[in-house]
Amino acid sequence: MLQSTEYQVRPYLAWFWRTNNFSRVMHRRTLVRTRAAVALLLVLRAGLFVSYITGAWLVIWGLQNSEVTLASLGVTAMVVTPLVLAHLVTLPLLVGRWFIVAPREYAKIRRSARLFASSNATKIAIAGSYGKTSMKEILLTVLAEGKNVAATPANKNVAISHAQFVEKLSGDEEVIIIEFGEGAPGDVVKFTRTTKPDIGVITGLAPAHLDRYKTLQRAGRDIFSLAEALKPSNVYVNHESEDLKKFVRHGYFLYGQDGVAGYRVSNVKNSIQGISFHLKKGTSVYRLHSSLLGEHHIGPLSVAVIIAEKLGLTKNQIEKGISLTKPFEHRMQPFLLNGAWIIDDTYNGNIDGIKAGLSLLKTLAAKRKIYVTPGLVDQARETKRIHHEMGQYIAAADPNQVVLIRNSVTNYILDGLKTANYQGKVTVEHDPLTYYQNLKHFVAAGDIVLLQNDWTDNYN
Amino acid sequence: MNSMKTVAVIFGSRSAEHDVSIVTALASVIKPLELSGQYQVEAVYIAKDGRWFWDDKLKDISLYQSGEIDDFMRKAPDVHLSFKDGLTLVKSSQFAGRKQYKKVDIVFPATHGTYGEDGSLMGLLEMADVPYVGCGLSASTICMDKVLTKQVAASAGIASTPWIWCTSAEFSANPKTILDRIKPLKYPLFVKPAHLGSSIGISRVENAKELINALEVAAHYDDKIIIEQGVKNLIEVTLPIIGNDTPKVAYLERPMTSSEDFFDFDTKYMQGGEKGKGKSGGAKGAQGYSEIPAKLPKKLQSLAEEVGKQTYSALGCNGIARVDMLIDEKAGKVMLNEVNPLPGGLYAHNWSLAGTSNISLVEQLVQFAEARHQHRQKLATSFSTNYLKQF
Repeated sequence: MLQSTEYQVRPYLAWFWRTNNFSRVMHRRTLVRTRAAVALLLVLRAGLFVSYITGAWLVIWGLQNSEVTLASLGVTAMVVTPLVLAHLVTLPLLVGRWFIVAPREYAKIRRSARLFASSNATKIAIAGSYGKTSMKEILLTVLAEGKNVAATPANKNVAISHAQFVEKLSGDEEVIIIEFGEGAPGDVVKFTRTTKPDIGVITGLAPAHLDRYKTLQRAGRDIFSLAEALKPSNVYVNHESEDLKKFVRHGYFLYGQDGVAGYRVSNVKNSIQGISFHLKKGTSVYRLHSSLLGEHHIGPLSVAVIIAEKLGLTKNQIEKGISLTKPFEHRMQPFLLNGAWIIDDTYNGNIDGIKAGLSLLKTLAAKRKIYVTPGLVDQARETKRIHHEMGQYIAAADPNQVVLIRNSVTNYILDGLKTANYQGKVTVEHDPLTYYQNLKHFVAAGDIVLLQNDWTDNYN
Repeated sequence: MNSMKTVAVIFGSRSAEHDVSIVTALASVIKPLELSGQYQVEAVYIAKDGRWFWDDKLKDISLYQSGEIDDFMRKAPDVHLSFKDGLTLVKSSQFAGRKQYKKVDIVFPATHGTYGEDGSLMGLLEMADVPYVGCGLSASTICMDKVLTKQVAASAGIASTPWIWCTSAEFSANPKTILDRIKPLKYPLFVKPAHLGSSIGISRVENAKELINALEVAAHYDDKIIIEQGVKNLIEVTLPIIGNDTPKVAYLERPMTSSEDFFDFDTKYMQGGEKGKGKSGGAKGAQGYSEIPAKLPKKLQSLAEEVGKQTYSALGCNGIARVDMLIDEKAGKVMLNEVNPLPGGLYAHNWSLAGTSNISLVEQLVQFAEARHQHRQKLATSFSTNYLKQF
């Protein structure tokens, strides 16, 4: 589980104290025997061995010499050893992080600030509680039609990842796209200071990482520190995200399903094959088609058009770039299974994303619609309210069947469904692995199944 | 209290298709039945030597793949059947001589070929008066005999390609007579054991020399041989059907073979149906690479579906079956080839594409079994006479 939490002590310990049954730790994932993992295992096994030998010796010696206290001490040592070792194992991680990793990372990040500053490329930063990776991939695909573009890889979106990324650049890039993965107050401020972006895109604000931010207000302030460091005309904000509206200032470009920067959206066609629409301002019309699913992608696609235009790409290049955009892994990614369409949105972890997926499900035609979710993690004090609302949103989308993966929020979603008088079939599955692995048995041609979010085991 | 009905899935048996049956039972029957959450599923395995076993461990494919099944059978107690008030499985609990009982509500036969699909098992289940999935005793017997199938179908006006049949004994005693009887048929010919499925023992022959060898091969497997004339401009299709009185069809499926190829056992099950692959697009089904739905002219498609349904009804099929047909594309003629009363894997891949999920398929089959049983309960099977008093 330490490996599963990327050797982060806090979530690992939180999981440890929450867990009653340790026999299912490797149920969904198995240990990858990296050098670090093998070293830690070795230390743990050595610790167990020493503890049990010592304990056994104390018990035998104590019994032979009628020293009950020593014998009891031996038994206690053997009993509590796993508990103690489970905590002690974090010690080398903490020491290693404080005295070795942190100083090295600090130096690397300082060096990266110089590299970012010296780059002549146009730097585009993307921040927000959700939608960052999609926005980055759209921009990368579209801008690459006319520019030499580099973007931070996958979900490598924290300071040290930015530093590693900039070190590998060749220097002849014309555009650099940097994803800001906020996790705690002050993160975006630091990222902005280091990367010195020219353009900022803020994709949305929703309850996420509230265990560290505590309130949505604090998360919003941190995210909008990016906007404050830029000229307002270089800031693009998703105005469909209700929670960030209060942070919007005069001069920002607002984008959404209606368009951006004077461009209006029309002729929208939505299907499992993707989305088509026109983006029109005066006589200028972009006729766009993307394989991305859902009308919520119209906003990000429109922003990509405007930024591409600003950076000098031609109309043909932009239209071609948009046509090349396609679903990203586990984000509204459709695939066929036994003739049924499965929409894999299991990396979606916020309520706005949930709403977007449900909105798509509602509009698509199908013989049977099935909605599957475990709910959302990291919602802190908002957990009950958000999952109750989620139940109501699900009911409004009116799937034929709702499958809930059982966990601590299931009852809140069920309450929401009940409040909204949902009439479809509700199933509660206790083992997500079994359900996902056997999904092919549940579906047939004509079905659409939307899988939203996935709880990794450390949240259970 | 557990209110779920108990379904016993019987598989394996003394059949050349023993291993195919294990896969059908475990992947296409037991798994979806359990996932439905509606039934308690009991796995009943008939070994190649005919011994019966009943255990949850039998639901695990690795038991058979690893060969541990032999060890299991050495240690496990045999299963006995009680017919008191239906069917009850009985086995020794291995503790203090106590016995374990399990009353079965429905039986789901998943056996292919001899001693299972051919009506033998159905006869036993009829005696036990328990609802069971699939074709009944007489339909199973007819379907599993390619000669009887064609004779019954012909009486219902369903066309087949020209054919003749003989017993293995007749061929052994006087091969020349048999060859003379075959002479009116035009090559290529297909020589088949009358009772075996999964294309075992089938040969395609181009001349008299090959024919003798093919007859010997067929005679090795069966006591009855059928010789059929090949069809020109051939499109081979198969149609999965479910239902009792109102047959419901899935998609017409076209195995992707050329006229020179046909699916032998190895092609069907060991190579995933790769033979003949690549001629046009298709999907990999339970038994090979197929075009689903078959791309046929609409008229021919409707005709094939109609012939399939007529055959299903004429042979008295219930629950599930698969009708194989041969189409002369130029002549626009659809001919019955054979009927499989328990298609491998239930042809679930085709049903899924036709809009019926694996779970829905097994649930419907269980419902058909119950409906048929209920209907039969209403029939009088005995009546009082004074006959015995005369003695």
